[in-house]
Amino acid sequence: MDIASKNESEQEKRNEEVSMNYQSPNISSEWQLSGSNLTNASMGIMNPSSTNQMVDSFCTTTWDQSTNSPNLGFCDANVQINPSTTNPLGTLGPSWTPSNPMLKGGMFPPPGPVMLPQFPADSGFIERAARFSCFSGGNFGDMMNPFSIPESMNPYHRGPAPMQGPQEVLACNGLKSPQKQHLSNVDTEKSPLKNEKKSESFARSQDEAKEVVGVSGNESDEAGCSGRREETEGAGEESYGKNIGSKKRKRGGQDTEPAKDQIEIQKGEQNPNSISIKPGGKNGKQGSQFSDPTKEEYIHVRARRGQATNSHSLAERIRREKISERMKYLQDLVPGCNKVTGKAVMLDEIINYVQSLQRQVEFLSMKLATVNPRLDFNIDGLLSKDILQSRAGPSSSLAFPPDMTMPYPPLHPSQAGILQSGLPGYGIPNDAFRRAINPHLATTSCGPGDYKDPSSQAPNVWDNELHNVVQMGLNSSAPLSSQDLSGSLSSGQMKAES
Amino acid sequence: MRNPSSLKQEFLKKWIKGLQICSATKKKMSIMERRKAIKVSADIAMASTRKSTTYWSHALMANASKDDTNKIIIENILGNDDDNSKRIIFKKASMGISMSQKRIVRSKKIVRNSCKISRRARKISPSTIAKKLVKKRTQVLKSLVPGGEYMDDASLIKETLDYIISLRVQVDVMRHLANNASHEINDPKTSS
Repeated sequence: MDIASKNESEQEKRNEEVSMNYQSPNISSEWQLSGSNLTNASMGIMNPSSTNQMVDSFCTTTWDQSTNSPNLGFCDANVQINPSTTNPLGTLGPSWTPSNPMLKGGMFPPPGPVMLPQFPADSGFIERAARFSCFSGGNFGDMMNPFSIPESMNPYHRGPAPMQGPQEVLACNGLKSPQKQHLSNVDTEKSPLKNEKKSESFARSQDEAKEVVGVSGNESDEAGCSGRREETEGAGEESYGKNIGSKKRKRGGQDTEPAKDQIEIQKGEQNPNSISIKPGGKNGKQGSQFSDPTKEEYIHVRARRGQATNSHSLAERIRREKISERMKYLQDLVPGCNKVTGKAVMLDEIINYVQSLQRQVEFLSMKLATVNPRLDFNIDGLLSKDILQSRAGPSSSLAFPPDMTMPYPPLHPSQAGILQSGLPGYGIPNDAFRRAINPHLATTSCGPGDYKDPSSQAPNVWDNELHNVVQMGLNSSAPLSSQDLSGSLSSGQMKAES
Repeated sequence: MRNPSSLKQEFLKKWIKGLQICSATKKKMSIMERRKAIKVSADIAMASTRKSTTYWSHALMANASKDDTNKIIIENILGNDDDNSKRIIFKKASMGISMSQKRIVRSKKIVRNSCKISRRARKISPSTIAKKLVKKRTQVLKSLVPGGEYMDDASLIKETLDYIISLRVQVDVMRHLANNASHEINDPKTSS
C-alpha cells in the first residue's frame, strides 16, 4: 500500500520531531494517554512490524514523562493488547490507512507540551481520541471500549473521501455535525489540531463548529478546571477566542482562566484544546466526567464574532462576574426574585421595589406630618413599644403626653373645611381616615349641645386658637388624620367640661 | 451587611435630632412643610448613617445641602462626626458636582446621538434586544438611586443594594413611629 508506506515515512520523520517535543516538561496526561492509545491503535493496525519500534520508542518516551500519570497502567495494558487486537483491527486496515495522512497532518502541529505522533485525521480516529481523552478523566473501564468502536466507526470514516486534505474532511464532518454529536465533537477536536498547518480550514471549521459547539464550548470552559486540563482549556480559549469571544465571556467564566490564558500565550496555539471543548453541553456523559457544568442564570446569548483580545476578555469576564455576584445578593434582598432568571427581569423587579420603598417613605412622612403638627415625637413611647430591638438610651423625650393632646383639639373646627377639600392624591386608602371622617361628618351635622358633637363646643373653648388653626388647615390641602379627631374629641370634650 | 437594629437606632436618633432643629427654626409649619421637613431629615439621617462611604449617601447629602435650611440640619447631624466629611459635602454641593455632571451628561448625549446615526445598519437579534432592555432598565435604576447616573454597572448594583437596605430601615422606623403615634392618639390613657 503506497499510502501506508508514505504514511510510514512521514511518521518516521515526524516521530523524530515529536520525540524532540517529548522533552518538554508540561504534558497533560490526557494527551499522553490519548497519544499513546492512538499510537498503539494506529501503529498496531498499520504495520505491526515497523510500527512496533515506533510504538516502543514512543511509548517509552511517553512513559518517561508520564511517570505520575495514572494512565500508565492503561498504557501498558494497551500495548499488550495491541498485538492481540491487531487482527480485528487489521480488518479495518484499508479503511484506516487513508485517514493516516489527514490525522498526521492534524496531529502534528502541536509543539511543546503535546507529544502526539501523527495520526490520521480520520473522523473515527478523532472520535476515538476524543473518547480516550474524555474517559481519561474518569472512567478507565470505558477506555477499553474504543477497541470496539472502530467497527461502529466504519460508516463514519468511509464517508469522507480518503485522501482529501483536512479541509474537506472538516467540511464533511462539519456537514455531518448537526446530525451526529460524535462528529461535532470530532470537528472541534480536529479543527484545532490543524491550527498551524491550515489556518483557513481551521477558521472555517471553527465557524462551522462554533455554531454547533458554541454552547458546549462555553460550558466546557466552565466545566472543568482540573489541573491537568489547564493548558488544554487555555489553548482552546486562545484558538476559539477570536471567533467565539463574546459569547464565552458572557457565560461568566472561571477564575483559573486568566492563568490559563497566560499559559497558552506563552506556548502558542496547541492542539489539545478541543478536548476541553467537547464535553459538556453536547455530550452529557462525557461532560459529567469532567465536572458539573455551571448553571447559568443569565439569558443565553448567541455566539458572536468577538473582537476581544485576551486582556479585554479578561477584564470583561471579571466585570461580569462581579455583576453576577451582586445580582445574587440582590436576589436575596428583593422579595420574589428567587425564581427570576435573567438580568432584565431582575432589574425590573429591583426598580419596582426601590420605587415602592421610596413611595412608602413619602407616604409615611406625610402621615407623620399630619399626626404631629409640631414634629414632636414621644421617644419614650416609641422605645417602650420596642420599635428597636434594643433601647436607644440617649434620646430624650421631646414632648410630654399632655402636650400632645393640646394641639389636636384646635384642629377640630378646621377639619370641616379641610375635609371638603378632599383626600390627598396618594391613592392609598386609609381606613382610619374613612372611619373618622364619617362620624365627624355626622357630628358636625348635629346640633350644638350634643355630647356627641363636641366640635360645636370646642370652638367655644378654644376660640382664640381657632383662627390660627383654621388658617393652618385652610392653607393645607390635605386632610388631617382622623385619629386626631376621635382621640382629641374625647380629650377635648373632657377638658372642656372639666 | 450591617446590623439592622443598630442601624435603626442610629437612624432614629439622627432623625429626631433633625426634626428638633426643624421645629426650633420654624414654629408653625404647614402640613406640607412638615412633611418635607420630616422627609428631608429622614433622608439626611439615613445618608449620614453611611457617613458618605457610599456614593448614594454622598450624593443625597450634597443634593440636600443645596438648600440652605437643610445645611443646618446636616451640620448638626454630622456634628459629632468628622469635620472633613462636612466640608467635603458642602464644598461639593456648592461647587460643582452639578458642573461636572452636566459635562458628563453632555458628552454622553453626543456619543448617543452619534450612535443613533450609525445604528441603522445593525441587525436586530434577540441578543441585542435583550441588551437594549437591560440598558433601559439600568437607566431607570440610575435615575432612582441618588447619584446613580455617574456610576458604572457593577458599582450601581452595589449602591442599589445599600440603598435598598437603608430605605427598608427608614420605612420600618417611620411606620412604627406613625403607628405608635396614631395608637397613642386613639388611646391617650394607655400611652406611656
